[in-house]
Amino acid sequence: MGVSRSLGRFYPVDSPLHALDPRAKILAVMSLVLGLFFVRSIPGLVLMAVALLAVVVMSRVPVKAFLKLPRVVLFIVVFTALFQALFSRQGEVLLDWGLLEVHEGGLLMGIFLAFRVLLLVWMAGLLTATTGPVALFDGLEDLLSPLRRLRFPSHEVAMMVTIALRFIPTLQEEAAKITRAQAARGAGFDEGGPIRRARSLLPVLLPLVIGAFRRADELAEAMESRGYRGGIGRTRYRELRFGLRDIAALTVTMLILALGIAL
Amino acid sequence: MDSTTGEVRDSGPLAVSCENLAFSYPGTERPALSNVSFEVRAGEYVGVVGPNGGGKSTLARMLNGLLAPDSGSSRVLGVDPAVEPFEARKKVGVLFQNPENSLVAPFVEDDVAFGLENRGAPVEEMRVRVRSALRAVGLEGYEKRETHTLSGGEKQCLALAGLLAVEPEVLVLDEPTSMLDPPGKRGLLRILDGLRGNKTVLHVTHHLEELLWADRILVLNEGQVMSEVVPSVLFSDARLLGENGLVLPPVLRLARDLGLDLPEIDSSEELAQAILKEMGKRVIR
Amino acid sequence: MRLELEEISYVYSRGTPFEIAALRGVSLAVEAGEVLGVCGGTGSGKSTLAQHTNLLLSPTSGRVLVDGVDAASLEKIRLRQRVGLVFQFPEQALFAPTVEEDVAFAPRQLGLDEEEVRTRVEEALVALGASRLARRSPHNLSGGEKRRVAVAGVLAMNPEVLVLDEPTAGLDPATRETLLDLIRSLRGAGISVVLISHDLDEVAEVADRVCILEQGEVKAVGTPAEVFYGHPEYAPTMVRVVSSLRENYPEIVQPVRYVETVNVLKKLLEG
Repeated sequence: MGVSRSLGRFYPVDSPLHALDPRAKILAVMSLVLGLFFVRSIPGLVLMAVALLAVVVMSRVPVKAFLKLPRVVLFIVVFTALFQALFSRQGEVLLDWGLLEVHEGGLLMGIFLAFRVLLLVWMAGLLTATTGPVALFDGLEDLLSPLRRLRFPSHEVAMMVTIALRFIPTLQEEAAKITRAQAARGAGFDEGGPIRRARSLLPVLLPLVIGAFRRADELAEAMESRGYRGGIGRTRYRELRFGLRDIAALTVTMLILALGIAL
Repeated sequence: MDSTTGEVRDSGPLAVSCENLAFSYPGTERPALSNVSFEVRAGEYVGVVGPNGGGKSTLARMLNGLLAPDSGSSRVLGVDPAVEPFEARKKVGVLFQNPENSLVAPFVEDDVAFGLENRGAPVEEMRVRVRSALRAVGLEGYEKRETHTLSGGEKQCLALAGLLAVEPEVLVLDEPTSMLDPPGKRGLLRILDGLRGNKTVLHVTHHLEELLWADRILVLNEGQVMSEVVPSVLFSDARLLGENGLVLPPVLRLARDLGLDLPEIDSSEELAQAILKEMGKRVIR
Repeated sequence: MRLELEEISYVYSRGTPFEIAALRGVSLAVEAGEVLGVCGGTGSGKSTLAQHTNLLLSPTSGRVLVDGVDAASLEKIRLRQRVGLVFQFPEQALFAPTVEEDVAFAPRQLGLDEEEVRTRVEEALVALGASRLARRSPHNLSGGEKRRVAVAGVLAMNPEVLVLDEPTAGLDPATRETLLDLIRSLRGAGISVVLISHDLDEVAEVADRVCILEQGEVKAVGTPAEVFYGHPEYAPTMVRVVSSLRENYPEIVQPVRYVETVNVLKKLLEG
């Protein structure tokens, strides 16, 4: 059934951004996340915002998707703005409610910081919107592969994440189905206090977990029968190619970031 | 074992051979397989039928090295799956009942490539094989689709594509249509029909109508091979059917109950036509 | 009990670009003590329809009537007791440590006393030939056994209408027959059954009336003979055979069930 497009959901279209090597995109976002904290001027931040907007347009991901923010993010953004506005006492007093004062500098600072958080979220969202989950974790696995020498199981982690991505929608559907099946047997999920409510979830959670184990069993069997024996001697269908385009994209990102910090 | 086997192909190289296979699941009294022996020639299409718990799925798993027999041995193209499971898995692909739990990757093309990746195939070769496997099952153009958005029938075709991509010589199908709706079933069976003659196939099922064109049918019950016959012999043997919990497809049942001879079987549509013709003749007389 | 769907429409993901109309103005009644077969392909709206019978889904527009009373005005649990719904692959929802505990779940939710619960569980298991499984764990049963236990879990509410969504999907022939026998005996006991299935042959064997759904609309509804002979694309095997014969022998009657068909054709062969 239809799932509404929200921030960060992979948006499968062809665009210059989608075509970039996932490692280039991960590195770019990582540098931006760190670098943004050093962007301290309004023109600098505006530059970053304009650059982001340009990249969003290039990505062909509808701008609308970026306006649908998860509640947690909204809360953090609003909280950041309010906290600064209420507790920072710089500049002229705009409002005075006795204990609470809002200063002009504080308000500006609040909006500035909140906007910075918003930019961070949008950048991360653009990464996952233009990079399929498989590519994303192939990229991460590769970037983490030096850790293999420290016995970090990067192949296994990547495989686990791939399987999790594959099965999340399946389990979601199953959870919905079991909930309805138990409701048809008279189960109520919104009655009584918290303990009773938690108890009423058991008839849904138990079969879901049992089902997940059964799936895991069958999946393991299918994988084994398809010749899976861990990461050794395995090749990759999605070959990562770090090309000129990727170098160019990373360079441009760094230049804009440097300019943003300098402004 | 019944030896009235009708016309069974007995030339050509052996693809699968089992000798006195026996197996019990830990903690159970009744053996899942006891004394199972049979041979399948390369290119044969062999049905495996019988009641639940008769040993069909156990046998399927054994040929792929997922289970090792307690005694006896099997060979698949010269390889003993109990000894060299990874070698055997290059030669035998198993299509399981529930396609939902056979698919590993979130995207279609990645899933088809999974078996190839495991074998260390070079990227260029993978691209070619993924494309041709998807074409073989009619899923061209689905490469970038998310796996979970496919219908049940499409998922099973995708699972089959994943097997075909590694080009196994033997396919073991373990009740591959049981989770599919009728259009999904028809689609899968059409593809399987196309494999007839090119691959050696063992097709485990409850539904005899899926085996109208099999070269031979093994009846497994209580862990033993009760009979090994051509379809027309099985279909006209009421006792053999009854004792092994097998139900004739409606058209065949109708022909039998009307006392008509079973004509050369190829599909239920053709059979219906043949019955009609036969009835037409008699009515005129 | 008479269950009536009145001009039911249902739209998934309303107000988003992914909006899908699953049902478009479906009107359909289930009379007391009849078996109504509902056929249709994937995407015809069969499962959506099933979930409207006990208001697990609330219609976007239209009403569900129980003996003439708007079902939305009834207490939910009471409605779900009267209209028992068995989902496709219902064994996915088995959860209790033993079969009898699992079957007892619904009667306990209804607040029945323990003695009544035990009677209901026993009766339901007997009806499905599953009494000997009572103390087993539902998770170690065969596929066919699980299915029977799951159906018993709904039957134990003593519903007046039993709605079965693809009850025989993926089953071995023996369990399939058990379920079809159950449907026949429920009808004998005056309980209505809605059998939703894409297996036309099994619908033909047990249904008193048949409804064909196509793209969320009722394409046809009537006696099995009317519907199946009138819509060749939905003809079960027996109807296909007889229809072909009728091209040459239009005087042949229109049997639907297997036994009827054999008798009609035998007579024809004897001249």
